[in-house]
Parts: sequence; C-alpha cells; structure tokens
Amino acid sequence: MHVRTRTWFSVVIIVSLALVGASRFAFFAPLENAALLVAAPVESALRDATRPVADFVNNLTDINRLSRENQQLREEIEQLRRENALLREEQTELLQYRQLLDIRDARTEDTFIAADVFAREPSNLRDVIAIDRGSADGVREGMVVLTQQGSLVGSVSRALNDAAWVTLITDPTSAVSALIQESRAQGVVVGAADGTLTMEFVEETADVKEGDLVLTSGLGGSHPPGELIGQVVEVERAAQELFQAVRVQPLADLSRLEAVLVLASFLPQEATAP
Amino acid sequence: MSAALGLLAVAVAVLAQAAALPAFSVFGAHPNIIIVLLVAWAAVRAQREALLLIPAAGFLLGLLDSQPLGLAMLALAPLILMTDLRELRWVESNLLLAVVITAFASLVYELVGLVTLAVTGERPDWLAATRDVLVPAIIANVLLLLPVYGVVWFASADVRQRPAF
Repeated sequence: MHVRTRTWFSVVIIVSLALVGASRFAFFAPLENAALLVAAPVESALRDATRPVADFVNNLTDINRLSRENQQLREEIEQLRRENALLREEQTELLQYRQLLDIRDARTEDTFIAADVFAREPSNLRDVIAIDRGSADGVREGMVVLTQQGSLVGSVSRALNDAAWVTLITDPTSAVSALIQESRAQGVVVGAADGTLTMEFVEETADVKEGDLVLTSGLGGSHPPGELIGQVVEVERAAQELFQAVRVQPLADLSRLEAVLVLASFLPQEATAP
Repeated sequence: MSAALGLLAVAVAVLAQAAALPAFSVFGAHPNIIIVLLVAWAAVRAQREALLLIPAAGFLLGLLDSQPLGLAMLALAPLILMTDLRELRWVESNLLLAVVITAFASLVYELVGLVTLAVTGERPDWLAATRDVLVPAIIANVLLLLPVYGVVWFASADVRQRPAF
C-alpha cells in the first residue's frame, strides 16, 4: 500500500472525527441549515421526477409480495365496505347527537405546522425524513409529527433554523409508549433496521388479535395519548415467555410521505418541565 | 473529464442520494449511488482524482443527512485504501475489481452505521440487520454499479487505456 494513500486515509479519518466532535456542539448547524435550504427545492424536484421510475423498479423486485398484498387488500376492501356502511349510519346518528349537545371537537384546540418532506436520510439503517419547516417556523425538538390523516409519523429529532429532521416511528432508535385500543394492553412500539414495527412488553396474558388498532398511551410524556400508530398484523405467543411479540403495521405508508403535520400544541414532558 | 467534473458529479450524486434513491427499494434496501460512483471513478480514472472525491463526497453527504457532520466522511474513508487495489493488479478486469470493491465498501459503509447505532446506546439486531440491510444493500449497489461504471467509462476517453471489461 502506498505511503501517500495511507497518509491521506489518516488525514481524512482525523478530519472526520474532528467534524463529528464539533457537530456535537452544533458548531456546523448554520452551515447544515444553509445547505439544506439551498438543496431543498432541487431535492423536492428530484423526488417528484424520480417517483414513477422508483415505483416501477420497486414493483419489479417486489412482485410476489405485491400480488399477495393485492389479494389481502381485496378481501380487506370487501370487509371495510360492509363496515363503512354500518359506520355511516352510526356517524349520522353521532353528528345529530353532537349538534344537540354542542360538543367541541378535541382537535380544534390543537395547532399544527404543515410541512413538506423534501429528503430522506440516505442510510439504509435509519428512517429519518427532512421537512421544510424549522425552528424559525416554531418547530421544536421532540414535537410529534402526524400524517395529514392524523396517524403518527414520528417526532422531530433535530430542528435547524429553516428545516428539521423527523425520526420516523420505524427508525431503530424510536420507542413509543403504546396500547392496544380494544384490550387496553400496554407496551412499547419500537422500530427496526428493516423498517418494521414491533410492540414489545405486551403481557403474555393480554388479549391481542390481528386487526386491533394500536394507539399512543401517553406514558412517559413524549407523545400525547390516543394518537393512532397502526394495526396489529401478527401476534407471536411463545410458551414460557413473559411477553408476546406483536407486529404492527403503520397505518400510513411511511416510505412515501410527501407532506406532514407537526403538532405544535404538544411538547414532550422533558421540554416543558421547569 | 477532470477532478472538477468529478466534484460536480459527486454533488449531483449526493443530491440524488438524499432525494431520490431512498424511494428505490431493491430487495428491501436502497442503493448508494455515491459509493458506486466513487468506486467506478477509482476503477476507470486516476487514483488521485478518487482520493480527492471520496472526502468531498463524505463532506457533502454529511451536510444533507441527519447524522453528525463527518460521519458520512468516516464511513466512506475506507474507500481511500481500496483505491490502491487497482495498482496491485490482482485481476486484469477493472469491472470485476470494481464489483468486489463495491461489495466490500457497501459492507463497511453500512457497518459504520450499525456501529454508530451501537455506540449511541441502541441495541441493533446484528443478524437481522445483516439479512435485511447489509446483504440487500450490497446486491443493490452491485446492480447499480453496472450502468454507472459504463457511463464513467464512456465519458473517460481522455484517460482510458484498457478495455472496460
């Protein structure tokens, strides 16, 4: 191996470590903010332009899973149509009751910051997205992020001046206190490197079924209670285990997020504590 | 082509990596065009150009990712040592060498990410990460190498001495 190569390698390693060290003190935050600000429009355009090609390539490599999923979805649509008809009836009744009682919708007190997703963490091991709103718009670290339909996306892990990084619930570093809506069984929903969600610490005796909805429990104060996380797709009960492994599918397709809502009216407990 | 054009290509690749590549999923992983471009550049063109482009790519990627600045540069740094392999002439085929280096560089790049997770207090599932991330990432990058290598080779008439394959 050439001395020149070894020397250059050593220099690059030393510079890298110095940069990592300096980053811990947010030394380069203005530079990173400026780079994201300049790159955001280009990245948005690139995302939009390549989306059809990406869909085509993904479908080619995923054909078996897609045909299985297609069959499942057909069955699910049939079931949902039936449920939908029943729910419409109930909704009509509920609306009439609400008008009578003048109940205020709980969501009217919440304030949101709408943001567009313009980039994604390039590493395969992380599930982090970049949004085009930052601390200048009121975004703070720890704020909860939802889809436009209201299901949980993740939380703000880093807020720069004009942009922010949102760690998705599927990221391996994510852990959200959760409960199963039907049985009220509690647990923690954690992400994994392959982008899946697992609900851990669900007691072996808890009644959990496929299709059950999983919500945030609010325990720990990092998320408000009652935010929709996903649906149970698999339950594994092993003999002599204290807990059952519950696989959860996020309700939103987190790999295709284009716009999100930052819940500005809720700050995690650490941030609000004196 | 020159190192200046290389820097431009790296900048475009970094933008594509942050904006477009995460939407592509090959066996569950998305390819890394930066590793692929740097390997192709080192295999086809002069080593000194690659030595400049590797840290530059790491720095630019660090500006646009969510990790601490410098981590991407650290993960790409082993590529510097791999640029010497071409001079050793273990195999005559530059493309075959590029495939081997791409596989190895992809492995090292993702391993740095896993080690970072472990160092920051997470408990990565190493076996699952190898099965679901490392191996698919290597396959995705090797597949992407073929067209990228072709483009770099065709655009490098100024330094090309040996056949592409």
